[in-house]
Amino acid sequence: MLDDDREQFRGDARRRILLVGGFLGAALATLGGRLFHLQVLRGGEYRTLAEDNRISLKPMAAPRGRIFDRDHRILVENNPDFEIVVIPELAGGTLRFLLRRLRRFIEFSDEEVKFLLQQASRQRSFLPLRLKSHLTWEEVSNISVRIHEFPGVDLQNQSIRYYPLNSLACHILGYLGEPSDRDRQRFANVTFRPGELVGKSGVEQHFEEQLRGREGVVEMEVNAVGRHVRELHRTSPQQGADMRLALDVDLQLEAQAALGNAAGSVVAMDPNNGEVLAMVSYPTYDPNQFIRGFNHAQWRALINDPSRPMINKAIQGQYPPGSTFKLVVALAGLSMGKIDPREHVFCSGVLVKEEQKFYCWRRGGHGSVGLAQAITQSCDVYFYKLAERLGVDAIERQARKMGLGDLTRVELDGERPGLIPSRAWKRKRFKAAWYPGETLITGIGQGYVLTTPLQLANMVASVANGGIVYRPSLLRLQPGQQPEVLSRLAVSSTHMEILRQGLEAVVHDRTGTGAKARPEGGIRAAGKTGTSQVVKHKREKSGQLIKQTGDKLQDHALFVCYAPADRPKIAMAVVVEHGGHGGSAAAPVAKRVLDRYFAKYGVPE
Amino acid sequence: MIETGQNLLALGRTALSWSERMRRFPWSLMVLLSVTSMVGFVILYSAVGGRDNMWLFWRQVAQFIFGIGILGTVALVADEKFYRRFAYLLYIFSLLLLIATMIMGSVGMGARRWLELGFLRLQTSELMKVALILALARYFHDRAVGHVLTWRDFLLPFVMTLTPIGLIVKQPDLGTAVLIGGVGISMIVVAGLSWRILLVLMGIVGASLPVIWNSMHGYQKKRIITLFAPDQDPLGAGYHIIQSKIAVGSGGWTGKGFMAGSQSQLNFLPERHTDFIFSVLAEEWGFIGGVTLLTLYALIIVRAMMITEMANDRFGLLAVVGVTMLFSIQVLVNIGMVLGLLPVVGIPLPLISYGGSSMVTVMIAMGLLAHINIYSRQHGRSV
Repeated sequence: MLDDDREQFRGDARRRILLVGGFLGAALATLGGRLFHLQVLRGGEYRTLAEDNRISLKPMAAPRGRIFDRDHRILVENNPDFEIVVIPELAGGTLRFLLRRLRRFIEFSDEEVKFLLQQASRQRSFLPLRLKSHLTWEEVSNISVRIHEFPGVDLQNQSIRYYPLNSLACHILGYLGEPSDRDRQRFANVTFRPGELVGKSGVEQHFEEQLRGREGVVEMEVNAVGRHVRELHRTSPQQGADMRLALDVDLQLEAQAALGNAAGSVVAMDPNNGEVLAMVSYPTYDPNQFIRGFNHAQWRALINDPSRPMINKAIQGQYPPGSTFKLVVALAGLSMGKIDPREHVFCSGVLVKEEQKFYCWRRGGHGSVGLAQAITQSCDVYFYKLAERLGVDAIERQARKMGLGDLTRVELDGERPGLIPSRAWKRKRFKAAWYPGETLITGIGQGYVLTTPLQLANMVASVANGGIVYRPSLLRLQPGQQPEVLSRLAVSSTHMEILRQGLEAVVHDRTGTGAKARPEGGIRAAGKTGTSQVVKHKREKSGQLIKQTGDKLQDHALFVCYAPADRPKIAMAVVVEHGGHGGSAAAPVAKRVLDRYFAKYGVPE
Repeated sequence: MIETGQNLLALGRTALSWSERMRRFPWSLMVLLSVTSMVGFVILYSAVGGRDNMWLFWRQVAQFIFGIGILGTVALVADEKFYRRFAYLLYIFSLLLLIATMIMGSVGMGARRWLELGFLRLQTSELMKVALILALARYFHDRAVGHVLTWRDFLLPFVMTLTPIGLIVKQPDLGTAVLIGGVGISMIVVAGLSWRILLVLMGIVGASLPVIWNSMHGYQKKRIITLFAPDQDPLGAGYHIIQSKIAVGSGGWTGKGFMAGSQSQLNFLPERHTDFIFSVLAEEWGFIGGVTLLTLYALIIVRAMMITEMANDRFGLLAVVGVTMLFSIQVLVNIGMVLGLLPVVGIPLPLISYGGSSMVTVMIAMGLLAHINIYSRQHGRSV
């Protein structure tokens, strides 16, 4: 019985084994057929390909385009830099041994050695491995005289990005870094070489396509051990395009110095074409550091800094505009005919509305004020009443016309739009109705309103030039190039003149809040102070409001201005975070920049 | 109880004299293995670039001699039931080693495959190949006596196969996982899995392909995509396949001659002394050389399969099937990959590729075949 079972199994197994054997035979025959196909049928084709393989292609990196300021002063350039590479397979010994020998001439930390060994085990041994970049001159000379002792080792000269002004204008210029997945998607048709860098912010990022050159290639014939015998053909790399910015280094330096150690931002523009003359964001970082590399502690310190040096506050900082927003409200009132400039309003220091008290910044009140005085003295009650008359949606429309609440489309990535509230917005965002009280605080640039310093500079520039909102431009306009216009304000010249007189009085009148911005040499400027409230109360989990304390509670100080008042050449916005009052903290910064400007360019006739 | 009838006759024979063992040794298999290895030495000599890297060549020769020693030991020393007796123990031991590798193995080329045992660097998945063959053979042997196998009897073999595969895929070593899977499945099929169940299983695997695809590592996916469109990334993932195909194709009918392959000698061909050694042969010795090696492999496979007829019991028969499949799949997958028919997975070419682990595993497996041949009761009957 058992034998039967065994025999039956053997018979069944034999059939199955034959089947498996047949399968193996068929598979082997397939391999033979494939061999015939590749070697005999398509042999000639592959023979040609093999011939071509005697030529090896070596890419040559193209230097990036340089960046200049408006006066052709260099902002970003390329410096020579040496790196040492090895083709591990040609080194004749283990990498560990090679590194030990190299360590007599070049410094390698244990960490670096470990990293290199790991790196080497991951890549093919006939591909070059970069051992160290940014060699010192001493290291270069030490190695170059002994290069024959190190087969497979090569010193390579390449160019390295250099920012001679270090942290100055770092947020505009940007920095370079290893390409991320997103960069690779953006430049899908570019093959990034190992170690190649791309722009990660600022102009370096925005104009990556123009700045990046076209890679060159050397065709080399190789011999039987893979050594290069001779150069067959060379396509030289093409350097990327140079960029000329509208930026003025003198103004940038002055604005940076004037801001001092205060976190904040300064944006100066040419109101007649939208060119950005200076754009400061503080604190800063040094873009050279991204090239040299960070150690862990430095990197942590940079990205964890609470004042956020990596952020370009000029386009990414969103602040309540405070009283600088009164320009918008005043223009809305004038153009819609909701106010007569001669009409006077009485300010007692407080306005009561639906049992809520809305205070003027001067508790004693301004007495009876017209539009001009209301601007000069920044009377809040006047603007509460005007805002009430206009309604929030009319204010919103005017603000948007002046470029607020929307991207300015300046040539930088990561710009924030700010926020201009409306009834529709609140319904959508909070599913709640708009309260009349909210219109009042919107009228003095508080509440939900948020703007970036660049938007504020562009806003005051449109008043300076009589009603044209230009697209801000970091690049110097070509001769004859027309600036791009975002919108034109529908304001009569008489109305605009009334506003402008009010703004001039802010700086020059005895009662003006911006007297500290008054330039030297009898130049007349026009401006508006602003103080934007920082949330002083934090709601605790229990629902109780608690008062926060400390420096971070100081209000943000703002100042927007242009000069000369009659034929403006420069418009500016200054934001000093937690600086206190606009008149005392931000206006003096503006004054220094204005003085520098007129010292350099002289006073127009 | 099991040992009845015929086995009573065999009792006296279990202790064979040494001369009898030598007489029954499958010498023809031994000759085939040696000739193939010699062919391997010639190719390897060329692949490592001649004199400069002769130490690699001599090391391979030493590994072959060592391997022959192991083959002889495995075949001759143990008594008839030794491997069946220790099959499960070896399997469990291998499984534990695989788990240990996963926890504290050393990393090379981005994968965790080796276990450092002081002086020894053990690629634990190699051991599992042999262990799984023995364990499956033992299982079906024990289970099938006086009993017709039902589908329930096949559950455990699947678990025994899939557990090590899971651990090896995690390393990640897709090649070895596929190999072990192929060996396990073919043994289960020969053991008598009904065709209907096999079809259902194939359906399930087919349906779960998308899931497998999603759980694969990026580089594994890339290799499969590359197989169908190698030109998309000629310096990256497609490099191996493109250069290997150029090497093979440019060999033509008769090849470029010994040490004269430009692809092999000019460093265009990566891993040419290990996984891609077949392309060196094809480039330098042409279609004639390639077919010669394929024929040698075919002869080895046929000779190995013939031993199934010699097996005394199910254990022996299934072990022979497992060993033959282990050998055959490696040959097919490696050459298929070199010729651009299969994705690039790290499977060496048996007896030819440089490397100790692979050589030792092949020799142990072949030793098992010789062992089964030696203790066959067919010797007395026929001839």
